[in-house]
Amino acid sequence: MPMRALLIVIVCSVALAAQQTASPQVTSQDLLDGQKDPSRWLTYSGDYSGHRHSPLTQITPENVHQLSAQWTFQTGTLGSFQTTPLVLDGVLYVTGYNNNAWAIDARSGRTIWRYRRQLPEDLRNCCGPVNRGFAMVGDRLFMATIDAHLIALDIKTGGLLWDAELADYKVGYSATVAPLVVKDKVIVGIAGAEFGTRGFIDAYDTQTGKRAWRFYTVAGPDDAGGKTWPTGDSYLRGGGSIWVTGTYDPQQNLIFFGTGNPGPDYYSQAREGDNLYTASLVAIDADTGQRRWHYQFTPHDVHDWDSTQVPVLGDLTINGQPRKVVMFANRNGFFYTIDRVTGKVIVAKPFVETTWAKEIGTDGRPVLLPGNLPDEDGSRTCPDLGGGTNFMSPSYDPTTRLFFVTARETCAVYYSWDQKFKPGEQYESGGTIRPRDQKNFGALRAIDPTTGRLKWEFRYTSVSSSGVLTTASGLVFAGDGDGNIMAFDSRIGKNLWHYQLGFPMRSTAGTTYMLDGRQYLLVPSGSMLTAFALPQRP
Amino acid sequence: MTPTRSMTMVTLGCLVTGALLLAQEQRSLTLPPGQNPHLGNPESIRSGMALYRFRCADCHGLDASGYRGPDLVAAVAGGATDERLFQTIRKGVPGTEMPPTEAPDNDLLLIIAYLHSVGTVTATERPTGNVENGAKLFSSQCASCHRVAGRGGRIGPDLTRVGIARSRTALVREIRTPSEFVAPNYETVTLVTKDGQRIRGAKKNEDVFSIQVMDTRERIQGFLKSSLQDVVYEKVSLMPEYGPGRLNDNDLNDLVGYLSTLRGADMAVR
Repeated sequence: MPMRALLIVIVCSVALAAQQTASPQVTSQDLLDGQKDPSRWLTYSGDYSGHRHSPLTQITPENVHQLSAQWTFQTGTLGSFQTTPLVLDGVLYVTGYNNNAWAIDARSGRTIWRYRRQLPEDLRNCCGPVNRGFAMVGDRLFMATIDAHLIALDIKTGGLLWDAELADYKVGYSATVAPLVVKDKVIVGIAGAEFGTRGFIDAYDTQTGKRAWRFYTVAGPDDAGGKTWPTGDSYLRGGGSIWVTGTYDPQQNLIFFGTGNPGPDYYSQAREGDNLYTASLVAIDADTGQRRWHYQFTPHDVHDWDSTQVPVLGDLTINGQPRKVVMFANRNGFFYTIDRVTGKVIVAKPFVETTWAKEIGTDGRPVLLPGNLPDEDGSRTCPDLGGGTNFMSPSYDPTTRLFFVTARETCAVYYSWDQKFKPGEQYESGGTIRPRDQKNFGALRAIDPTTGRLKWEFRYTSVSSSGVLTTASGLVFAGDGDGNIMAFDSRIGKNLWHYQLGFPMRSTAGTTYMLDGRQYLLVPSGSMLTAFALPQRP
Repeated sequence: MTPTRSMTMVTLGCLVTGALLLAQEQRSLTLPPGQNPHLGNPESIRSGMALYRFRCADCHGLDASGYRGPDLVAAVAGGATDERLFQTIRKGVPGTEMPPTEAPDNDLLLIIAYLHSVGTVTATERPTGNVENGAKLFSSQCASCHRVAGRGGRIGPDLTRVGIARSRTALVREIRTPSEFVAPNYETVTLVTKDGQRIRGAKKNEDVFSIQVMDTRERIQGFLKSSLQDVVYEKVSLMPEYGPGRLNDNDLNDLVGYLSTLRGADMAVR
């Protein structure tokens, strides 16, 4: 072979090899491995179990006070982050307000690419065009959009690969959830219950964007739960939004999602019955979308208490017996430990003041207290519509076996009235106001999931919507409602460090990852990302 | 129905529907042209009530008769135009707690339709009492803590526009029983420093780790709680109660009359 040709072959081979090694490839096994490689954060909660717990130990209770900001990233857009950034090979993948998205150098905070979605002018959504993050597999990223689509982006460029419509945004559908990839499917839920829509969970082929299955969170007349709705078409306006990412149990091939409130939100007479599968935990076969079991936290909810919280999977020993469980701090104010094979309640205890139910009975149903049905005169109930907790992610530390949650101590006067449904208009049939003498504070609470008992708490001066993150070194990271990111000793709740971010964290508590031998804590708040680390050793 | 009339009705219907659809999406600064399509429509009024209770009732009262904010029943009965209502809701009232809104025009029109439906006609609030005497009373009793048009104290709320921000009933209540409701940013705290010094003032902000106050000498300052011995949250307002023994009913009437005339000041430099 002439020397020139040989050179070309060598150059091409090197280029191809470089391309292959440089191309980020996330496999299904990587997703199953979760936090095994702590330089990565590949899915919303860090792994399929929903623990939001990192095995990293460089930052410890002893040195956490030395944490300092390494860089900040500003979106340059309006609106606040509710995202959990994903991390792969030194690059952060971040979604923001109005479905802006970025690939960012994790070392420096500099932008690598940016995606902007052209959104229609006439969007309808109850709670702002927020987004909770990407999902990833292979060399692609997946984002749900506020105009109710699911899109796939090229991980290297942010270029659009496919765009699937979930539902018609013009009648009030929207999507804010971070999708969940399981094997060859990307699973996503729809929001829009405040507009009298019917919620669902969908699975799409990661390669083609074709829909594989749909599970309606509001049972139709032919479904097993169909009799829990009045005869007629009220189920078509039955709500059941999904806006928090579910979890996955590979042993059972089951995905778990919490479902939203029934619609209309407050007016009981519009939808007599339990209103399955709203305000529930549903266990669905990941391949077929068939429901294996469900547990309804709040039958016939009339307080807007979505159960769209993260179902956290764990293996516990309860009364001497090993149990496979799902742990759930619910907006209705109760903490639940549920057998994730059978769907039966093992533990149910209030973790905030609850005035609507005395307890959860042995049959799993709440024992209701009188005087809590909203009407035109109003009825005072605790918690308020924001709930005992909400969309903010909890965390579970499997070493201490403690469940950590941002709790809200609030009450409200709930009103309801009849309202005629019109497609595309808000359909809540009621509202709430805050009593003037109400308490109104938040707290980080550590709960023993085998008993539901409070282990410790740290009170905030106001309510918070921050998520929680734990690490194997015995740290809990969380944010208050006043813009502080804080670190606590996970065993006793002692505050060890805080930093004023200028805007409170919402939904997430950030992510942590190793890069170049340093452990980073990455915190989204407002329109800013801040990366913290310990001082570099010389 | 004749074809012409039918055509006219269809055209009118389309125009109204079109205007309504437009209003649902738009965020105008002024009242959209044409009649408010929700006026007198029971369904719209219910929707307006829902929006009102959600967005307005905390300040203006559940029945719109005013609490911290003005009495809207009286305002509407007194001839407040839809244009004024629309612009007030859209733009807010600078210098008061009334914020601007980005809500769609349609939401504002629904709220206005609801406001037209509540209560029966009540008398318009007009200044009562001897305004001149009220001004004197203000100067001697109130001005050390409250500011009007750039003059006066700052520990209490600025009252330059209080005449449009408070109903007469609210003014009377807040003078007679100021501790019944203390607005955010004016709650009373006493900070006790490590060396035992006590600093009393109005809380401006607070989180778990710090607190920011204006003390009674109008010094604004932040403190780290770790540097304090104690933070005492007082239930009472910094403002003393002006009961009948301190301010008789006639003087109260004069003072409220004067306060009702405070409707903003031109602070432009010329």
